[in-house]
Amino acid sequence: MSSAVAKKNILHTVGGYIKSFFRLEKGMYIELATATVLFSVNIILTLNMPYFTEHKAIYESTPYIVLLTIAWLLCAIHLFFSKKKSASDLSIVIFGFFILWEVAYKLGWVQNDLLIPSPEGLFHVFVEKNEEIISDVIGSIQLLFIGVLLAIVLGTLLGLLAGWIARIREVLLPISNAITLIPPLMFSAYLIMLMPSFRDAAVAVIFLAVFWPTFQGTVSRVGQIDKKIIEAAKTMGVGTVGMLFKVIFPYCLPGIIGSVSRSLRGAFMCLSGAEMLGINLGIGFFIEKYKSFADYRCVLAGIFTVGVITTVIDIIVKKIEKKVIKWKD
Amino acid sequence: MSENQYKIEIKNVSFDYIDKKTKFEALSNVSLQIREGEFVCILGSSGCGKSTLLSLLNGLNKAKSGEILIDGTPINGPGINRAVVFQHYSLFPWLTVKGNVLFGIKQSGKKYSRKERNELAQHYLNSVDLGGSANKYPSQLSGGMQQRVAVARALALESDILLLDEPFGAIDPRLRLELQELVSRLSVENKKTVVFVTHDIDEAILLADRIVVMEPARIRTILDIDLPHPRVRDELVKRDEYEKLHFQLISSFYDHLTETIDTEVVL
Repeated sequence: MSSAVAKKNILHTVGGYIKSFFRLEKGMYIELATATVLFSVNIILTLNMPYFTEHKAIYESTPYIVLLTIAWLLCAIHLFFSKKKSASDLSIVIFGFFILWEVAYKLGWVQNDLLIPSPEGLFHVFVEKNEEIISDVIGSIQLLFIGVLLAIVLGTLLGLLAGWIARIREVLLPISNAITLIPPLMFSAYLIMLMPSFRDAAVAVIFLAVFWPTFQGTVSRVGQIDKKIIEAAKTMGVGTVGMLFKVIFPYCLPGIIGSVSRSLRGAFMCLSGAEMLGINLGIGFFIEKYKSFADYRCVLAGIFTVGVITTVIDIIVKKIEKKVIKWKD
Repeated sequence: MSENQYKIEIKNVSFDYIDKKTKFEALSNVSLQIREGEFVCILGSSGCGKSTLLSLLNGLNKAKSGEILIDGTPINGPGINRAVVFQHYSLFPWLTVKGNVLFGIKQSGKKYSRKERNELAQHYLNSVDLGGSANKYPSQLSGGMQQRVAVARALALESDILLLDEPFGAIDPRLRLELQELVSRLSVENKKTVVFVTHDIDEAILLADRIVVMEPARIRTILDIDLPHPRVRDELVKRDEYEKLHFQLISSFYDHLTETIDTEVVL
């Protein structure tokens, strides 16, 4: 009997949850409908609109349609989760942009086929160069992961030490101030020669890009720690090592994680730059290679990939931050 | 051993702050003996050196001359034989309420199993009536609740001596009374030697076995309070001794003022 009641209750709450999930304001239904109409227009234009000029290459439209569908789904999910009007506004802007592009291309407003491909052509790259892109992306992410991890761990450790011990801080802070003024990419030309392999050179560039900012961020966060907390810890008999790892480190952790997404963005930029400057790995190298082949369709696809990766990394880091940090100052 | 009958012995202690070359004498040749299990309130207006005296006791400051003995041994910096509750909220914001108490238990240096630690933490939280808030973070609690956690954390250190520096100064009067009674009860239950700094006369009478009244840098007078424990505020105010004590304390409080402003004060 009671289990039946419990079951009913669960069903009720689940039902309520689903209902509240799908409940939108009236205006929102209109916006969702607008986005869906624009999406359909996109599909119809892609499939049925004839070309009014002669183009050299006509690509199969399936990859592009798949992408449009993913975009539409993401917009709808985002709309239902956030219940914000801006969610559908965003989809309107995106689909509007693709409609303009499609129409402009097919009407022949775009004269330079080489520099500005059709949207179908652009996204067809992901089918043609499937394996190459995947392996390049994995390569980039591996380098990124090693370099960033190393830099964050060491930068944080040194930052904690320098933040706590004035003599270390007074030596290292001026040095780091000078070094961080030099764009890390400038080192890459030299590092490529210095390091035993391209991989190591890339990791070194990323390390340089992330290490010093992490160090400085940690030092300044340690400086901001409430004196009362330190005093309380001291009266509880916490020694230097305990102070660093049981008190100062947890206090600084949100700042450290908060800086990770910024660091990753900076690191990715440096990595792409380093790859373009001669490290023959990764998605930056992909872009550089097809630039020299004058295949700007692939160059654009590479740029698009970089955008997707950085966005995904950003989202993941923010999710982790939310999971790990539950306290407020 | 018979020589060291005192739990805490403050011997001719002096301390001064130096601020931009001007020396400010906070304590001058202060001596005080505190017996085991005694509840001593240090009473005085702001700037009289009472918090400085406590900072010497807890070891965050070091006396310029003189020494402080605990169980006959001079202190050298902070130590876990003295637990401190500060006026400001000093909980660790990244730990839950229970986490904060567990931190104290771990610092106590006693070897407990994980299960024992958890039970002990829950016990201390129950004793400050916060058993239900174990998994909250300090930022989710009111000021009064935070100070209760601070008391629980101090108890968790299992030190014989409890030092409290105006712990309820920032808490509204109704809650303050509750907390005062809580501290009074817990200190007796746990057989602590307590040094409690305050500027509140009523608070001092309610809690103390002995009240040390301070004037700037010196001890003005020491009063024994012979009222039975546990004391309840509402009953206390009806008693004659309370009236007398209150008057005595107020006059010793303002004596100094009258001297300095050279006027007659009618109380």
